[in-house]
Amino acid sequence: MRPRRAIQQILLYLAVGLVVLVVLVPYAWMISGSFKETLELQSSDVTVARLRPTWIPRRPTLRNYREVNSSVPMLSYFRHSILISLGTMAVATVLALLAAYALSRFNFRGREAYTVSVLATQMLPGILFLIPYYLIFTTISRKTGIPLRDTYWGMIFTYTSFALPFSIVMLRSYMNGIPLEIDEQAMIDGCTRTRALWSVIVPLATPGIAAVAIYAFIMAWNEVLFASVLTGRVTRTVSVGIMDYITATSSNWGGMMAACIVISIPVLILFTAMQRYIVEGLVAGATKG
Amino acid sequence: MLWQSGSTLLTQSDRRSAGKAGALSGWSRRQHRTAYLMILPAVVAMLLVHYMPMLWGFYISLHDVNLFTMADWMNAPFIGLRNFVDAFDPSTTTGARALRALLNITVYSAVTVSVGYLIGLAVALLLNQQFWGRTFVRGLILLPYITPDSVAYKVWTFIFQSRIGILNRYLIQWGLVSEPPIWLIGPPALWAVVAASVWKGWPFSALILLAALQKIPQDLYEAARVDGASIWQQFAWITMPHLQSVTVTLLLMSILWNFNAFNQFYVMLGRDPGVAAEVPSTLILREAFTNLRYGIGSALSIILMLILLIVTVVYLRVLRATAGAEEV
Repeated sequence: MRPRRAIQQILLYLAVGLVVLVVLVPYAWMISGSFKETLELQSSDVTVARLRPTWIPRRPTLRNYREVNSSVPMLSYFRHSILISLGTMAVATVLALLAAYALSRFNFRGREAYTVSVLATQMLPGILFLIPYYLIFTTISRKTGIPLRDTYWGMIFTYTSFALPFSIVMLRSYMNGIPLEIDEQAMIDGCTRTRALWSVIVPLATPGIAAVAIYAFIMAWNEVLFASVLTGRVTRTVSVGIMDYITATSSNWGGMMAACIVISIPVLILFTAMQRYIVEGLVAGATKG
Repeated sequence: MLWQSGSTLLTQSDRRSAGKAGALSGWSRRQHRTAYLMILPAVVAMLLVHYMPMLWGFYISLHDVNLFTMADWMNAPFIGLRNFVDAFDPSTTTGARALRALLNITVYSAVTVSVGYLIGLAVALLLNQQFWGRTFVRGLILLPYITPDSVAYKVWTFIFQSRIGILNRYLIQWGLVSEPPIWLIGPPALWAVVAASVWKGWPFSALILLAALQKIPQDLYEAARVDGASIWQQFAWITMPHLQSVTVTLLLMSILWNFNAFNQFYVMLGRDPGVAAEVPSTLILREAFTNLRYGIGSALSIILMLILLIVTVVYLRVLRATAGAEEV
């Protein structure tokens, strides 16, 4: 029995090792590329043994990071993304909090229909909204004189409603876990509804609220389709801006890989901080939703 | 479950808690008003961004909205279903592309969803075993899922580069090919995108399936072992039935998401991925925002939505039929 068990253990660790390898290989290639000189990248050639692309840069350099902003205005893109994502996070969290509280605590007419419609929007193709949305944006701007395209407000508004469906569902299931007796006790003690929400429920639901906030931030940070049409010089975000490193005339792979690392950092930090709650929310959204 | 009828949507605890809250204070009309006020902002936001554009989308698809009429698109001439006919007329470039795009996206979704699910299942089973460093690996596999789409797919574009990519280096070095293949142009492009999408997509399946695996009571396996069931029998008779309901939701979600795929094609292949890798989203985007034929773009996106609706209904019907047969 013993040797068979040992073989099983070895196979288990080999399989785990393979999974880890598959996950990490693209990241290794990204990091390696970000430290390579432009000359090395441009002259490498898979058909010539001497010039094969390597994992370890031949002459490691920090130049791609230092000059991340020189050919592409990456720092401006970064600022746009931060503002849009923070705005989306703030607005979406407040709206989702109110809606989730109502869905979890009140039994009102149309509640089920509303929940179904919230979930349905999540599954429709984004491209379906894009064309009419763009035309409506343009018309409203022309009629009222308020610019919406390529403005922070327009983008924050758009992304808020993208983040809402999942945020509402996630926060509602979190609030359902908070016993009703707590609300009742607070209200018997003389709190109003609003007071009970802000000073009793919100502190208790903080992990759920934080998870929703981070989800909204990451969603806005990563969005590509609407950003490619609705943003312009003033609000171009990192997700779309990253593509500027490769143009018809020049391909700066080193710079692009460095930028890839830089723009992944905020997402990685936020996700790691709240991993447990976001994972719980994702699982709940897919199974209970 | 997401797609069951509204009545089963709210869990029992939902109903109980809401009923109790209603009973707490008798002023049900005031209660209603508070509740409506609280969901109002969310409703307005979603009305403006989701529902209203959807209705206008139907309107646009029935009108001749193009470069010349777009300034006053609400008064564009009504042309009935002509946009729909034109969009799928195989004798035009767009029509031929549209039919090819539907074929491509079907192939792409079928492979990406099934391979992604199988890998996710295998890894979930693996990570459900006891081994050193398990918590760390469970966190690590989420990396592809959370990496921004544009970053992940740009890195894969770099991997697939013909002359300077790491993939071709090994293909040549190990003697598998003699000339470096060009991955991102022509027919191979679709498969390059499939590979990248599978890499990015399986962690989500693994995450959901692992959560379901952890809920299976361990004494079921113990009882099965006592009865002399093999590992394979335990998998077929205990594990899979417990994963069934989560699999149903997961596969449907994956099918819908992949049918709508845009980011991977746009980031890896650009605005025009070429005939062999054209998909509905890229075609619609170009038709509307490059060729400025908004009417045709809208018609195409409505067809895409209808196809997804049919897929969903058929999927649930077939499922319900087979589930019913099993119960009998």
